[in-house]
Amino acid sequence: MKKVILILAALAAIATASAQKLVIKGSDTLGAKLVPTLAEEYKAKNPGVSFEIAAEGSTTGISAIIDGTAQIGMSSRRAKPTEISAAQAKGVSMKPIIVAFDGIAVIANAGNPVSSLTKRQVEQIFAGDIVDWSAVGGTPGAISIYTRNTSSGTYSDFKALATKNRDYASSSQKMAGNEQIVAEVAKNPSGIGYVGLAYMNEPGVKVMAIEGSTPTKESVLNKSYPYARPTFYYTNGEPTGEAKKFVDFTLSDEGKKIIEKIGFVAPPTK
Amino acid sequence: MLHLKSKWLALLSGALLIAAPVIAQDSGPLIDILVKKGIVTDQEAEELRADLVKDFTNNSSAGKLNLSSSLVEFKMSGDIRMRYEYNDQGPELATGAAPLNNETSRQRFRLRFNTDVILQKGWTAGFALETGQSSDSANQTFTGAADDYGVFVARAYVGWQPNANWAFVLGKQKNPFYTTEMRWDADISPQGAYENYKAFFGAKDTFEIRAMQHAMQDNNEQVAGPTGRDTWMFEQQAVLTHWFGPENLHSAIVAVGYSAYNQSSLPSTATISPSNSPLNSAAFVGSVRAQDYGTFAGEVNWANLNGAGTAFKVYWDSSYNTTGGTRAYRVYGLNPTLFSKGATAWLTGLGYSYGTGKVQGDYSAKLDYRSVGVTSVDPNTNDSDWGLSKVNQKGWKLALAYNVTDFTNFNLTYFDTKIIQQGMTFALGNLDRSHELLVDLVVKF
Repeated sequence: MKKVILILAALAAIATASAQKLVIKGSDTLGAKLVPTLAEEYKAKNPGVSFEIAAEGSTTGISAIIDGTAQIGMSSRRAKPTEISAAQAKGVSMKPIIVAFDGIAVIANAGNPVSSLTKRQVEQIFAGDIVDWSAVGGTPGAISIYTRNTSSGTYSDFKALATKNRDYASSSQKMAGNEQIVAEVAKNPSGIGYVGLAYMNEPGVKVMAIEGSTPTKESVLNKSYPYARPTFYYTNGEPTGEAKKFVDFTLSDEGKKIIEKIGFVAPPTK
Repeated sequence: MLHLKSKWLALLSGALLIAAPVIAQDSGPLIDILVKKGIVTDQEAEELRADLVKDFTNNSSAGKLNLSSSLVEFKMSGDIRMRYEYNDQGPELATGAAPLNNETSRQRFRLRFNTDVILQKGWTAGFALETGQSSDSANQTFTGAADDYGVFVARAYVGWQPNANWAFVLGKQKNPFYTTEMRWDADISPQGAYENYKAFFGAKDTFEIRAMQHAMQDNNEQVAGPTGRDTWMFEQQAVLTHWFGPENLHSAIVAVGYSAYNQSSLPSTATISPSNSPLNSAAFVGSVRAQDYGTFAGEVNWANLNGAGTAFKVYWDSSYNTTGGTRAYRVYGLNPTLFSKGATAWLTGLGYSYGTGKVQGDYSAKLDYRSVGVTSVDPNTNDSDWGLSKVNQKGWKLALAYNVTDFTNFNLTYFDTKIIQQGMTFALGNLDRSHELLVDLVVKF
């Protein structure tokens, strides 16, 4: 009898431990640096909790909530109506929670003499209407465009914010993450790309002012920077259990410090 | 379910949700302004957006459509036509033979469904489905006991317009030429490659060069010689459109063109003689021999001549087959000297209308007279109703149309034709007379 009780107790312990595993999927913008850092801090305070974090693009995060394969979906864009509709068909209620604000910075090679662009010029460059730097006051040379891949929320957000949803130029090269874009632009004197705030202050690249405004905490929060956007956690309805605790931690003062430290803008306290 | 956190948000949510199906997708800027003014927080705004989208997707099908972001415009349209058709016709008979009347009465319908999209960077594409497999008629006769009927692909095309001057279209497409039904039946969607150059001048005037390479018949290239070549028709046209009069409301169009085949399957002269006629005289079976047409068509429109919304027009079309004598001899086995006049076709007509045919109460009337010589038009493409698609006919067409509603038309059309030159034995040219009445009810959507 004692053996049976011991086995049941062990099974209960295993079950409890597995229940405390938090699966988070989605945006590379959030999932490459910010959420892993938050998770490490959270684990330090809650040793029984483990994390599985997969940062493969916002679309995968929203799909994971719809499919029930993650408790939290990271997204750097809003869920599309078709995604919300698909979720509702499965009885899932998409709940957006603003995690941080981000500005999508337009970056060029550090040696590029061009320092500012208008919104119209950005649209024309990324849509392929302008193909040479000389058209925007730069050194003559073909413009090399780097974008995120299609599963990225930043890919669709920038398309909506900067190119009026026009297709990117057919010559544009699609990169898996922000860090890859930074790396390519840093080594290509004719390169241009876009990255989240947390990735813009890297060696070898410079940030373009857009209509005279650069992405800063203030310009993103007061929305004077044209390519500012919120980033999200998505949950199925109001978060519960460990997911709720992690969301609360993210939005706590301690979490916000981490958000700011990584390079995002924390949502203001009400 | 909304989770309301303030009076403002409650009021806003109530107002937006009442009209959610209409404005959900347009409410973004309004919500942004409320956030900027501090009336709602970013988080409240996001929850409101999400709830509006949920409500929108629940109450409208639009939220379930996942359309490509490359789309600039997605248009679906179509019409259903119910038709009563009566015709009587008689073939040419030997002198003294008893008259022969062939009367036909049919109840028919036509369904057309069009999808046309405008994409970014000047690209277009589209397709159309319709009843009726024949290229010159989408009509389907109501036949056996509650039969079902097939639907066919009537158009499938890709277009590209790099700038205002140039346009290109590939595939089965709407007829791009300025023409009348004397030469091109309105139901035909030609297939091939089309090129258009348009120059603009004056207030609204344009000058266009239109050219199309029509794929008319796919032949077996393994057959040696000309009969193994695919059959192509090459048509090109210069079209001048000039506007004149008060506020440039009147217009004139003049179109000069030339059309010819590659004559892929023209048999050698040695095999031809009047005694072995007719050779391949039927339409739509590769009747492509000796067809080289010079064409001249146009119209003059006077707007508001009899009060606002009225229009009067004079229009014409003509065609001359420069190899008509050869066609008469080598295709129909006729003596070319006797049938040299059969190389000309002409049409002249008058039209009067009120409105554009899109508003309840609009009406129009058109009357034309035409004469179509035996070798003067391409029997593959001419009007399938007038003279029952036969050549060697002359006669009238009267067409009346009235808009019962903005989307419903009542049409009445009557044709009356007679033979021009007697003594032809082949079916395409020996129709003595024909009368046809068409009564249509058309609903557009």
